[in-house]
Amino acid sequence: MGIKGLTKLLADNAPKAMKEQKFESYFGRKIAIDASMSIYQFLIVVGRSGTEMLTNEAGEVTSHLQGMFSRTIRLLEAGIKPVYVFDGKPPQLKSQELAKRYSKRADATEDLAQAMETGNKEDIEKFSKRTVKVTKQHNEDCKRLLKLMGVPVIEAPSEAEAQCAALCKSGKVYAVASEDMDSLTFGAPRFLRHLMDPSSRKVPVMEFEVAKILEELNLSTDQFIDLCILSGCDYCDSIRGIGGQTALKLIRQHGSIENILENINKERYQIPDNWPYEEARQLFKVPEVYADDNQLEIKWTAPDDEGLIAFLVNENGFNSDRVTKAIEKIKAAKNKSSQGRLESFFKPVASPTVPIKRKVCFH
Amino acid sequence: MLELRLVQGSLLKKVMEALKDLVNDANFDCSATGFSLQAMDSSHVALVALLLRSEGFEHYRCDRNLSMGMNLGNMSKMLKCAGNDDIITIKADDGSDTVTFMFESPTQDKIADFEMKLMDIDSEHLGIPEAEYHAIVRMPSAEFARICKDLSSIGDTVVISVTKEGVKFSTRGDIGTANIVCRQNTTVDKPEEATIIEMNEPVSLTFALRYMNSFTKATPLSNTVTISLSSELPVVVEYKIAEMGYVRFYLAPKIEEDEDETK
Repeated sequence: MGIKGLTKLLADNAPKAMKEQKFESYFGRKIAIDASMSIYQFLIVVGRSGTEMLTNEAGEVTSHLQGMFSRTIRLLEAGIKPVYVFDGKPPQLKSQELAKRYSKRADATEDLAQAMETGNKEDIEKFSKRTVKVTKQHNEDCKRLLKLMGVPVIEAPSEAEAQCAALCKSGKVYAVASEDMDSLTFGAPRFLRHLMDPSSRKVPVMEFEVAKILEELNLSTDQFIDLCILSGCDYCDSIRGIGGQTALKLIRQHGSIENILENINKERYQIPDNWPYEEARQLFKVPEVYADDNQLEIKWTAPDDEGLIAFLVNENGFNSDRVTKAIEKIKAAKNKSSQGRLESFFKPVASPTVPIKRKVCFH
Repeated sequence: MLELRLVQGSLLKKVMEALKDLVNDANFDCSATGFSLQAMDSSHVALVALLLRSEGFEHYRCDRNLSMGMNLGNMSKMLKCAGNDDIITIKADDGSDTVTFMFESPTQDKIADFEMKLMDIDSEHLGIPEAEYHAIVRMPSAEFARICKDLSSIGDTVVISVTKEGVKFSTRGDIGTANIVCRQNTTVDKPEEATIIEMNEPVSLTFALRYMNSFTKATPLSNTVTISLSSELPVVVEYKIAEMGYVRFYLAPKIEEDEDETK
């Protein structure tokens, strides 16, 4: 998933590009959220014990609805304006990666059956989590829920991360929230991790700024994309024996994958046959996204009380009182999102003074 | 090398009390003009600007423009250890990672040194343009503090409107509504008790009371407060510090968005 080892690589080589932020500090901000990633997390975590999950009377899983409902309300209550972006058709290049995931799930299903036989609880939980797959129905359920809540939904033509990044680049949203680091490779100027984590985990939001990453790593955008491809992405294999750290060294030394391929020891490093790195690069640079305003209607509206009760309580067995209270929360939250931010009035300027404390450099 | 000696040490104590709840960490900037600070609260809704001009210090030495990152909670802890009549001196050496607060009792029989660690604070400095405000209200600071406190027991937000009639503070909450109107009043015994309203254009803005209440912590610094309002700008709540400078609080208004129309 995403770019292999990129978080650590950045923590080691571009620490200033990432900073911890309070969840609350994003009030009033429009944020694009990678919906599929969130739904996947909800299916793994929300209301699970062993293989048991939250279900409605018909026995259909409702963990994703519970998760989407409560986390979205948490965002709204903090004055954040979420836009959920759903995956469209995966790019051709991703089929290999998807096949891998499919076979992993198949393995896990077998392992799960075995664990169920032996009755090892830890294993049952572990393997059952690995069998989780976000289905079309899960996505449709969540879209319906969000629309009833008055939260905008965008269906990306292809990868959701790419669409999120495009929204952020064009200034339609302030930041992109996902757990998938390739949002950065797609060039999302500001990328947030852990925004959708449950509040009980008390993990601060980690904010990455692409401009600072490039500055700290001293790379161009193209070189950063090449670095991500070399580190290992969803679209093509990487070169065996080259991890993030080596990739960074090679990119700094040679400047591009082409030059690296000309210069590295081919005995030592096996380049995959017909390595589609150029196509992967193209996918990151010019992904298939909507740019037309008509296709991107981003509007937050009042929640549909009756619709929510019909969908959640009648169809999916949610507690009626809790849903009614939650709807009240959504309405109350609308008031909060009206608080303006100072940055909309005053612009940053360079500070006229220098710190008395000398910065210590460890390089 | 930096050495600032302030005879009226209690002033610094009051300044810290006014700021420490709004801002956790901030860079203090030191230049030939004076000792200043600009910082936003963590949610970037409110900003505080402090200026203590160099002329107000008994001794002021600052060789080059410097900034010192401090945790205001810790700084306040240390300054609380100074007596109200103490003379406070702020000292720091070039390249040092600490700042020293020296407290001298008025009779010079007790001298205390408190050394505090400095921090690296990555803060944004905002450019605040000089602006013509639609309305400027000057009123007793204790009166303003009382209004904010009273209204916050009813609601969360305050609408401040200035018209020819005067300045109106109103709120609305679950239990009901409240409106307080203050009229221009210059026929007072002491000038600081006057309420003076200068209005070029009527203006009405909504603010979160939580922040207003936090600003009123600066009330001990000045008998009067000046509130400047413009419809396109954050409100400025200013407490002048006699012969030294000011503490100014800026607060972004609440804005009703038209995109939030109901279905």
